[in-house]
Amino acid sequence: MFTFVTQYLSFLKLVPTMSWLFDGLLKLWAYFAKPVLLDWMDEIEAEVLQWQYTTSGIHKYGGMQFNYQGKEIGHIHSNGLLDMLLSRSVKAQLMQDGRISGHHTFKNTGWISFYICDIKEKDYALKLLRKGYERLVK
Amino acid sequence: MSRKNFLTDLKAYGISNLFAVGIIGINKYFIVDTHANADDIFVFSEFIITPMLMGIISAWFWRYSDLSSRGLTGKSFLNGCITIVLASGFLGEGFICLIIVSPLLFGSIIVGAFIGRAMFRRNNNTLNISIVGLTLVVFAADSLSEHHYENMVSDTIIVNAPPQQVWKNVVAFKRIKEKNKFWLFKIGMPSPVESTVEGYYLGAKRKCIFSNGYTFDEKIVTYDENKNLTFAITNQPRDPEIMGHIDIEQGQFLLKDNGDGTTTLVGNSRYKLYVFPTWYYDTWAQSITRNVHLRVMEHIKELSEVK
Repeated sequence: MFTFVTQYLSFLKLVPTMSWLFDGLLKLWAYFAKPVLLDWMDEIEAEVLQWQYTTSGIHKYGGMQFNYQGKEIGHIHSNGLLDMLLSRSVKAQLMQDGRISGHHTFKNTGWISFYICDIKEKDYALKLLRKGYERLVK
Repeated sequence: MSRKNFLTDLKAYGISNLFAVGIIGINKYFIVDTHANADDIFVFSEFIITPMLMGIISAWFWRYSDLSSRGLTGKSFLNGCITIVLASGFLGEGFICLIIVSPLLFGSIIVGAFIGRAMFRRNNNTLNISIVGLTLVVFAADSLSEHHYENMVSDTIIVNAPPQQVWKNVVAFKRIKEKNKFWLFKIGMPSPVESTVEGYYLGAKRKCIFSNGYTFDEKIVTYDENKNLTFAITNQPRDPEIMGHIDIEQGQFLLKDNGDGTTTLVGNSRYKLYVFPTWYYDTWAQSITRNVHLRVMEHIKELSEVK
């Protein structure tokens, strides 16, 4: 569903509030279908906010965004999809492991996507966010 | 649940819903439209901005509750359910209407609650006032703008019969016995079942009867035998599912002889929509109109193809 919307209905994000509304509905889906996902997102947020100079907020296209001194580390849509920017070399290295994929929209960039489906993947998402954080701190 | 939490929830649900009832009531005085009955118009702000503000208001009451995302989503869902019950009671909305509006309501209330949580965590009053102020400006601008939207849905099927054989079934047709396939018809939305006509001539009165007994009164305004049947809708039922939200203005069947014993049958319906945003409601209107067309046109095809 998410893939269909981002591939074929991405123009709708230009409609004000549309992407937030979609993310709100993803939260509702998660609440009934996989409530633990919402708990994992809270745990990730709590962990990231312990890192120095980080803040969280709402991403412009919906979801939870993490920033380091105003610069985006990454964001998690409410279906558990983590999108974040890494260096191209780190991205290439991680993609060889097969756990992450290229960003669902921005191909040929350092952006990556990673679905959080279980608790191990929640921990892995935190590792990825840490890499993104360290990239910005340097 | 402690008494304190219960009272907090009660205030969050009660005040946010009272706010919605109040603002929708006030909004009715400011909506500008050429429509004869402006009370029937519901705008973008009422379906998106108002529920978002409801979410923000409820988040203000929960600001010290330290709710998890799961908790906030669940409480916002409950808030949306209360709003739907109130809409059913106060606005007289039908069951199908409420199903159609519910994704907008739930999504917007949840978004508002999370925006509110982020706002009140930061505790930056200037930012908070700016956000609420901006939404109210959008609300006012939307309410004061003119709202007018018309559209036409067109569908085509091939009937394996010549136009002369199809025509009589286009003007009027016997009761449809085929089971409904469209999910909204299956759960209770009225579907077309029969069409009657007082005569085969220009100006004749026609009736389109729906499954719940409601009737659309029509008048034939173009009678070009075997080619074009156009009818104006002169009176439509005051069904709570459609009351004031959509006016079907004209229906049309065009027949094209394909020269090989088959006919291309085109069904057109022109309607005016009174609910906004159209990017949401027109999607539903098109889908429903299309399924009305297909139900009727497939029946016409079946009747016409009988040897």
